[in-house]
Amino acid sequence: MKAPLPKNELQRLDVLRQYDILDTPAESAYDDIVQLAAHICGTPISLISLLDADRQWFKSRTGLKPQETHRDLAFCGHTILEPGMMVVPDATQDARFSDNPLVTSDPKIRFYAGAPLTTSDGYKLGTLCVIDRVPRNLTDDQRNALRTLARQVMTQMELGWHVNLLKQRDRQKSEFVSMVSHELRTPLTSIRGALGLLNSGAAGILPDRARTMADVALRNTEHVIRMINQLLDLGKIESGMMELCHKKMDVNSLVRDAIEMSRPFAEKHGVTVFAKLPTETTVIESDHDRVVQVLTNLISNATKASPYGETVDVAIHMHDDVAHVTVTDHGSGIPASFQSRIFQKFSQAESSISRSEGTGLGLNISKVIIEKLGGKIGFTSSKRGTEFFFDLPIAWAEGK
Amino acid sequence: MTAPGCLKRVLCVEDDPDIQVVLQLIFETEGVAVAICGNPINAVTMASEFKPDLVLMDVMMPEQDGPETFRQLQSAPETQKIPVIFMTARIQTQDVKAYQDMGVLDVIAKPFDPTTLMRELGRICEKHHGRHAS
Repeated sequence: MKAPLPKNELQRLDVLRQYDILDTPAESAYDDIVQLAAHICGTPISLISLLDADRQWFKSRTGLKPQETHRDLAFCGHTILEPGMMVVPDATQDARFSDNPLVTSDPKIRFYAGAPLTTSDGYKLGTLCVIDRVPRNLTDDQRNALRTLARQVMTQMELGWHVNLLKQRDRQKSEFVSMVSHELRTPLTSIRGALGLLNSGAAGILPDRARTMADVALRNTEHVIRMINQLLDLGKIESGMMELCHKKMDVNSLVRDAIEMSRPFAEKHGVTVFAKLPTETTVIESDHDRVVQVLTNLISNATKASPYGETVDVAIHMHDDVAHVTVTDHGSGIPASFQSRIFQKFSQAESSISRSEGTGLGLNISKVIIEKLGGKIGFTSSKRGTEFFFDLPIAWAEGK
Repeated sequence: MTAPGCLKRVLCVEDDPDIQVVLQLIFETEGVAVAICGNPINAVTMASEFKPDLVLMDVMMPEQDGPETFRQLQSAPETQKIPVIFMTARIQTQDVKAYQDMGVLDVIAKPFDPTTLMRELGRICEKHHGRHAS
């Protein structure tokens, strides 16, 4: 006899679909529960059966070959109509099942006990059941164990649902960040372009006061662009999507590239960047653009910490198998109270003159990059200045 | 800041009118002849007539994206040898690699710095010419 449908069948199916579990591959967490149920109840067959519109689909099974059967044949269709667990000691003696093909032919079910898989809202999505080919029954302890295991199945399903939801949210967040980034960068391209051209005199020489205003606008535009880039980097780091490439390159030329890129900013602050580079070639296997990003960040921090007319020194020293790159300024040092927080996100020194120009993200991102590249980053600071350094493993050095 | 010898004529394929204005002024200031193509559908026709040394092309355009427009330029005999540089506001490492594999010279990130754009384009073109000369 085919089981009638529960009153809330449509909503029940809707809830089942939300778990996104039908037709998914086997998972050991469920298989373990099924093994345990069969073992505790001493039956050859145990199943986690989920009741879909016209079939019962087995998330996990032991002692039975098919992955699914027609719903009309499902004992579990009857179980979900019962207030609690359903036990059938001998199916041949039960009018609901005596003519069921699963009873009259293979697997010749005689004994069945099923505990419903009930959601917190009371929807019964299926059962955890045990089946035998001979008539029998369960002890109270076995019944309690089956109920407990059914609740464990439900807990696993809840967990899976939450994980799916988080993955989906994470995808949506990434798409959103990517979309916002594009939508902001397009107008910023014309703002930066227009202001840059205005300041460079391409549109005619500006009166002094107009030039000052255009400078303010451009400086803040650059700041917004830096913010967006760093927020995007942070997003990539937090979602584990920051991609680094490993290519062989000469440390000297890498440092020269970074200094070249930092020069305009340093000149604006009246600071000279000096490079002390070794004469021999040292090759590292690293991500050029990301290391340049770290180095320009350190040079720009050093520049901001420097009094007008001072120098920032960039040097490379070889220590055994690492390239030790230092950026030294002659400013007044990092306040002791700030030193422990310096690599944290959104941290900026209270009295920092650079506050208006910084995002509080640069060093945090630098640290992640260097560590992902297999290196180390750190600093020493006194009242006479600060030295930041990072070490990167050497792939090949001249004369080594 | 002067335009390198290899860049005398540039065609910009860009749908944003404000960025068009900026690009126009950058190239005019540099003494580079510039043509603006606001709709990528017309890129092949404009490139055939204008005969630029370089096409600077936006990637995300509603009518037709950069890669598709690049393919069209590549398949027309009169435009297939013109080097193309993409510019994009949504720059991703794997995309850059894919574009370069297609045959695009390089990718410039938006927002670009207008005062160094010319130098950047020149650097990319010289590298390209150097590679082809050797």
